[in-house]
Amino acid sequence: MSSKIEYDTTGKPHPYHIVRPSIWPIIGAFSGMLLAVGAIAYMHELKIGEFAIGFKGIGLGLLAVASVMFFWWKDILFEAVTEKIHTPIAQIGLRYGMALFIASEVMFFVAFFWAFFDASLYADQEILFSRLEYTSGQWPPPQIHVINAFDLPLMMTMILLLSGCTTTWAHHAIMEGDQKSFIKALGITVGLGFTFLCFQIFEYSHAAFGFKEGIYSSTFYMATGFHGFHVFVGTIFLAVCYLRAKKGHFTKDSHFGFEAAAWYWHFVDVVWLFLFVAVYWWGGLGGTPSAH
Amino acid sequence: MSDHKPGFFTRWFMSTNHKDIGTLYIIFSITAALVGGWFSMIMRHELGDPGLQIASGGQEWNVWITAHGLIMVFFVVMPGLIGGFGNWFVPLMIGAPDMAFPRLNNISFWLLVPSLLLLASSAFIGSGAGTGWTVYPPLSSKLGQPGMSVDLAIFSLHLAGASSILGAANFITTIFNMRAPGMTLHKMPLFVWSMLVTSFLLVLSLPVLGGAITMLLTDRNFGTSFFDPAGGGDPLLYQHLFWFFGHPEVYIMILPAFGIISHIVSTFSRKPVFGYLGMAYAMIAIGFVGFIVWAHHMYTAGMAVNTQAYFTAATLIIAVPTGIKIFSWIATMWGGSLRFPTPMLWALGFIFLFTVGGVTGVVLANAGMDTSLHDTYYVVAHFHYVLSLGAVFALFAGFYYWIGKMSGRQYPELAGKFHFWVTFTGVNLVFFPQHFAGLAGMPRRIVDYPAPLVPEHLEGPFVNHIEKIKWMASQEYGYHLWNYVSTMGAYLSGISVVIFLLIVFYTLFFGRKVGENYWDAIPETKTFEWTLSSPPPFHQFEIQPKVK
Amino acid sequence: MTKITYWGMALFSFISTISMAPMAAFADDRARPTQLGLRDAATPQMERITWFHDSLLMYIITAIVIFVTALLVWVVIRYNEKANPKPSKTTHHVLLEVVWTVIPIIILIVIAVPSFKMLYYLDRVEEPEMTLKVTGYQWYWGYEYQDHEGVNFLSYLIPEEEIDESKGQRRLLSTDNVVVLPIDTNIQILITAADVIHAFTVPAFGIKKDAVPGRMNETWIRIDKPGTYYGQCSEICGKDHAYMPIEVKAVTKEEFKKWLVQAKEKFASTGSRLPYELAFNTGVQ
Ligand code: HEA
Ligand code: HEA
Ligand code: CUA
Ligand SMILES: [Cu+2]
Repeated sequence: MSSKIEYDTTGKPHPYHIVRPSIWPIIGAFSGMLLAVGAIAYMHELKIGEFAIGFKGIGLGLLAVASVMFFWWKDILFEAVTEKIHTPIAQIGLRYGMALFIASEVMFFVAFFWAFFDASLYADQEILFSRLEYTSGQWPPPQIHVINAFDLPLMMTMILLLSGCTTTWAHHAIMEGDQKSFIKALGITVGLGFTFLCFQIFEYSHAAFGFKEGIYSSTFYMATGFHGFHVFVGTIFLAVCYLRAKKGHFTKDSHFGFEAAAWYWHFVDVVWLFLFVAVYWWGGLGGTPSAH
Repeated sequence: MSDHKPGFFTRWFMSTNHKDIGTLYIIFSITAALVGGWFSMIMRHELGDPGLQIASGGQEWNVWITAHGLIMVFFVVMPGLIGGFGNWFVPLMIGAPDMAFPRLNNISFWLLVPSLLLLASSAFIGSGAGTGWTVYPPLSSKLGQPGMSVDLAIFSLHLAGASSILGAANFITTIFNMRAPGMTLHKMPLFVWSMLVTSFLLVLSLPVLGGAITMLLTDRNFGTSFFDPAGGGDPLLYQHLFWFFGHPEVYIMILPAFGIISHIVSTFSRKPVFGYLGMAYAMIAIGFVGFIVWAHHMYTAGMAVNTQAYFTAATLIIAVPTGIKIFSWIATMWGGSLRFPTPMLWALGFIFLFTVGGVTGVVLANAGMDTSLHDTYYVVAHFHYVLSLGAVFALFAGFYYWIGKMSGRQYPELAGKFHFWVTFTGVNLVFFPQHFAGLAGMPRRIVDYPAPLVPEHLEGPFVNHIEKIKWMASQEYGYHLWNYVSTMGAYLSGISVVIFLLIVFYTLFFGRKVGENYWDAIPETKTFEWTLSSPPPFHQFEIQPKVK
Repeated sequence: MTKITYWGMALFSFISTISMAPMAAFADDRARPTQLGLRDAATPQMERITWFHDSLLMYIITAIVIFVTALLVWVVIRYNEKANPKPSKTTHHVLLEVVWTVIPIIILIVIAVPSFKMLYYLDRVEEPEMTLKVTGYQWYWGYEYQDHEGVNFLSYLIPEEEIDESKGQRRLLSTDNVVVLPIDTNIQILITAADVIHAFTVPAFGIKKDAVPGRMNETWIRIDKPGTYYGQCSEICGKDHAYMPIEVKAVTKEEFKKWLVQAKEKFASTGSRLPYELAFNTGVQ
């Protein structure tokens, strides 16, 4: 900016994607509000006259949000696949967008890991006398029967690592233009993600500690549960890619939709590794594993 | 042909146009400022005299300050500076036809509307959220506030947070991906730099707040004990998480202001910005250091003394890059050929008042000193000097600088200057005396303060105020006098807001029409927006521009 | 005329606050309406804070603000359009940029060194001569004299209607049970809370510590002069945050001993512990 600025034109139209007006953003925003109000109605057991709202508000909110997502992404797919409007430059933009979204998700996890390390590293602080009473100065607190890291969690680690491999397999396949292997690898990845979720549900329903048993349970369930939610989202993301792959949406040179899902999946994978090492393994050292 | 605008509903409710969305943000910001400003007026009215004037009690007071703080931060300054001016001018300044993700841009805006609705309902449903804008548990837990108000506030913050994260990702992508050929990062206008750094702060800090309030929500409603000592949790964990967001947040509110001021100072000095690279890297430094100073808000909370020492040192360091900015602005003017239309007055006011607010920040940065000043009105004075007299001054500076560009019509110059001087007097009267009250020990967030009650003959607005001042000054003890001055200043600030609204109204309907470069910016300071008509075409830069 | 007199008064009180430490043997702790500076110090803690603020920080920040203002004024006068029609083209000056980076660093070091010294001094006392435990409740304070079995009590605000100014009582500051402390004694203060966060503050003592449930915070004081000192809860704690003051009466050691005897009798009914668990019902199963 320090010298004289001189302007010119490239003489060509710009290469960006100018999006048509869309109704989904405003509906999406108010769907978010519906979801929030529904959640409050549920949490505070609100009634309209005699009618107890219960889960219905949340259900309605979720439905609204999910529909908006569906139609919004449908528009994007139309633009990408039919209109072929995602120029190489526009695709770079999508890459930035996805990377930043993942960065913000990482910071979300930072909050929950912070809570975990605050409680576990400082379990024996004398000035925190109430915590001391709860933890007896130990982590895990003696009254908690932890989950053996080398039991189910190790298995789940293997599943996720394997799914990471199959994702990479899929990626290589599509780069070679090998649609068949691509679809196959994607399908296996989705299956692995689903298996992981089943295992997690099994783990939760067999855990020896409940949800409301103090800071150990709080950090455990929040961190692993938030991760599980991400596995759920990632699995759906990959499943959508699978369906799109079957329709032949992805080509050798243009398959960012799949790549975004793969990035997301690797991110979920890495978070799990941290969870496994910190929460399950290190966080369970010295604890009494539960019986099963 | 290409400038065809869609119909009313499509244009304003389904928009994918950065300028229209920017306009929506500015309208939203001004509307929210009227609400947040109204709260501050009744607050100051309440504190004008000891005893209760209009508040029914402490809870109502706490609800007011919470709503005031949250509205001003999340619904006035951020939408105004980032959503409003950022949306309007980032694409224009880098020669882009729009933002990278126009639909996403629109949901960023619209999320704020339900968010504000939820926040407003949190103030009016039940007993209201009376936690302060920091929402510290256990006061914000079931124990302190069992009703649904706090849950409404939490969801409001969730939505506002989602809005800002999406917006920030959009800005970063736009800036990295859509600059006109030839515009390297080191040639990028400083306002764009400021938005880039701000966006990174948003992406990296807001999710942590999201995590914190999510944990608060589950503590309140689902029996977790993150912040509940009885279950081994710790209220201080919340404070750490909150301020890990909260401190970057204050720079989120001031960096775009820095960007705007740089442009105004250079345009009206007829000189390029002095030390351009230093200015850009100073902002990066401020952003970076801003992430490692958060616990200076928690000196009295019971942190280890070594931790306090570290945070003192880290906090003091921020004065260095900020000083670089102040001195570079002055050096930009040095040797220039200065004009003083309204935006330049706001910019000069900004530099002066921000320095005042900044140096009191340096006082507070010392953990030992903060023992005396924490949670007193000294802190209130500090942060209003950087916010209400910093960020808001930049909002007005930007408004007067660009309203011609945005609307095609120019504001009346004399009225603009009048508005500046009334505001300048008003807000200084409000906040300067608060330093004194704070030093003398007056705590913040109190509905009533120690001081003898006003005798009957001095009650009410229609009394001899000289006599009243004499009476106040002669009392044995109490904080009455400075609060009284502060309240008088607030009334004046209230009047200044009305003047502003009149100017806006006049400008939009009767303002003089202006051409592209109505400030006669010289080629050295002429950023892309001054090469376009006022207002710019609905879609600009359809033929891609380039910088030689 | 009158206005000027009052600004004069304000200025005078400012100068007197920062220059003359009160010489009186009996402290008179109050925030005067025209006061511009910190409260009069009653402890070595507050004396250090006062020195740090009045004799170091105030000079530095005033100088910085005056310097910046002077530059702005000069620029406006010297380089306005009329005075300087042709703008220069200077945009860099390496030496200048180094100078305005290095000088602030030096200033900050000048601030930081005494700041750290003070911080470590304020932190804690190695060998306290007595310990006072303070517990914050919504909305009153509990005090336990840990070295004196049975001297525990709660302390409430005296409501506005019952304030008796002839007894020197002050609105929103005076309490029913005053904390009595000896002068010239190193007193350790332990601070916690039973419900939400409060903060224990006495400006004249230079202390402020949050009372956090589940956490035992610590600070210390050594009071110089007998007298009555006031403070107010300094962390938002709900509807009556403005109504939970702290009143401390500092007396000589002998008087303190006498008071202890009376206090044991007076507060016998409170029992040996304060109702800590009472409010601590945060609902974990
Ligand atoms: C726009 C918002 C903004 C900005 C920019 C700042 C800037 C700074 N703030 Fe402020 N602050 C707030 C908003 C802001 N703050 C808010 C909202 C709160 C209260 C929150 C709450 O509790 O509700 C707060 C509270 C707050 C505290 C906690 C006080 C307490 O609660 O006890 C502290 C303590 O360190 C602090 C410090 C600083 C410092 C050191 C800076 C520095 O960045 C300032 C740097 C600037 C300068 C120093 C001036 C220019 C420099 C020169 C001219 C160079 C020469 C100067 C020197 C060598 C000193 N701030
Ligand atoms: C940006 C932030 C901001 C702004 C502008 C203000 C503005 C004002 N504030 Fe506030 N305030 C806070 C942020 C802000 N405040 C925060 C965070 C708190 C802490 C809350 C807590 O403790 O939890 C607080 C607390 C607070 C208190 C302390 C309450 C207490 O501790 O008990 C007081 C008391 O006097 C006060 C008064 C005022 C007054 C009189 C104004 C006046 O200046 C208001 C006059 C109005 C304006 C000057 C607005 C004009 C702006 C526009 C019209 C927008 C223009 C937009 C465009 C051009 C796009 N505020
Ligand atoms: Cu107790 Cu504020
Ligand atoms: Cu801060």
